Amino acid sequence: MEYAIKTENLVKKYGKNFTALDNVSIEVGKGDVVGYVGPNGAGKTTTIKILSKLIRSTSGHAYIDGVDVNKAPREAFYKVGALIEVPGIYDYLTPHEMLTYFGKVYRMGNDQIDRRIKETLELVELSAWEHKKIGAFSTGMLRRLVLTKAIFHEPEIVLLDEPVLGLDPAGIVEVRELIKRFHSGGMTIFLSSHLLGEVAEVCNRVIFLNKGRVIASDSIKNIESNMKYSVINVRFLEPLSDERLEALKSVQLINGVELEDNIARIQFDGELETSSRILRQLVSLDYEIVSYSLESMDLEDYYISIMNENKGAD
Amino acid sequence: MASWGVMKGELYDIYLSTAFELRKHLRRRRLLIIAALAILVPLIFYATTPDTAGRFSIASLRFLSILMIISAAMFAGDAISGEFESKTGLLLFPTPQSRTSIFVGKYIAALITTFLVVTLYYIIMVLQTIHLYGASEIPPELAQSYLTASIYVTSVVSVVFFFSSILKRSIASTILGFVLLMLVLPVVSGVLSSQDIEPWFIVTYSGELIISVLGQRSLFVGPGGRVTLETYGPDFGPGIAVMAVYTVVSFVASVLIANRKGME
Repeated sequence: MEYAIKTENLVKKYGKNFTALDNVSIEVGKGDVVGYVGPNGAGKTTTIKILSKLIRSTSGHAYIDGVDVNKAPREAFYKVGALIEVPGIYDYLTPHEMLTYFGKVYRMGNDQIDRRIKETLELVELSAWEHKKIGAFSTGMLRRLVLTKAIFHEPEIVLLDEPVLGLDPAGIVEVRELIKRFHSGGMTIFLSSHLLGEVAEVCNRVIFLNKGRVIASDSIKNIESNMKYSVINVRFLEPLSDERLEALKSVQLINGVELEDNIARIQFDGELETSSRILRQLVSLDYEIVSYSLESMDLEDYYISIMNENKGAD
Repeated sequence: MASWGVMKGELYDIYLSTAFELRKHLRRRRLLIIAALAILVPLIFYATTPDTAGRFSIASLRFLSILMIISAAMFAGDAISGEFESKTGLLLFPTPQSRTSIFVGKYIAALITTFLVVTLYYIIMVLQTIHLYGASEIPPELAQSYLTASIYVTSVVSVVFFFSSILKRSIASTILGFVLLMLVLPVVSGVLSSQDIEPWFIVTYSGELIISVLGQRSLFVGPGGRVTLETYGPDFGPGIAVMAVYTVVSFVASVLIANRKGME
């Protein structure tokens, strides 16, 4: 299989005592949107900076579309667009001037540059600001503009490092929509983030990183199907009396109950068959049930569970 | 053939980088300030007009090396460190353009800007000379002085550029470059001269060629504050060679360091 992005045993050490990346090997297939998830300091940005040749790895290799970024950076960077951290901006330029410069760096023709300026600024809703000085832009506008720079030359691969950092909720939604649109255009996207909601919403695969090591990697679909739902939320018609609560707790198969008003969170072994049997028992005991649902476990829960496993392994 | 193609690409990238950096300099207020100094300072010398055009040129040129150093510090001081400090390098570096071509372009842009300032200064001075003494009185050595100044510009820009590559903050590289060229090296030259050692290897000493080609030896303050006519003066050939060495060594070292610098 051909990979859009691949790293082999990447190691990055700072001094003798701190290892930012410890034999990180990842693979991102062409056309995938892969979330690169981990807590702050896990090594996400370090990996992306090595892929962008902003820093050198202590050992190991990084490839963009099969090209070693250290051996043939020019060839590799024609295929990739990158948004890393919160870059500084050339506040004395206009978006038109900045994008024209980068267009020339990517050897785009004048017609192509003009076309892409129109297209990309329209995409990020900055058309009206094409000839205004960037220094006057808001944080959200700047973020959209640097995203424009990342995709300006129509790269096959986009590296995004915390793309919604510093944005307000409306800005976050806008950027997520843009990422989805990039993907629908066929781009491979490698998205580093510590925001699991963002990853769950836009990615089809996820790689978990902790303390410089890859601790898990799977498709979002697989993760969701493998999750165990060990809590049932039950809403009763009326709040339960103490007597009825005790009766509920004594039901076989129920491991524990938390009650708030007329809603109970029932803990069980997570098996779907058990859940069905509990429901049958509650009905037979004349509990008046309004709704009965498994509490959904999301990527966040999965992340916490693997982080805890990893803590145990340490 | 392939290597010629790569070289052509690199040259085009250097051109792009130079044009991009020049645009920055042209939009900066600091260029206006330095250009204003280049125009206004020579006018001060109207106040005490010497009896010959040669002496007028010498008096005017005394300020030129200061202006050159200010200009080099202003335009080369943040050329490399600025990209790291303001994080604009995060936009600029992950592109097909090599860092070498980016930094060479930045160096050329700082050089062109400082060179333009120097040229402006000479133009004003020549116009003044014509106004005060007539065109026929313009010292023929002034052309040699201008050429020497143009070479000296490359060395002072290189030295400041070097500081920009090793320091993290633009303000530090700007100030350090300025202080070294303006204060430290001239003081060391003076001390060595007072000990009967010719400071031929110090670039600011070589910079005195800009004036000495017009027939003037430099003045040094000796022990007890006594002003003495210095017995040494830079020789033209070695002086130019020293400037060239400072230019090449500082510039090459800057590019090598900047290429290895991580964008942490």
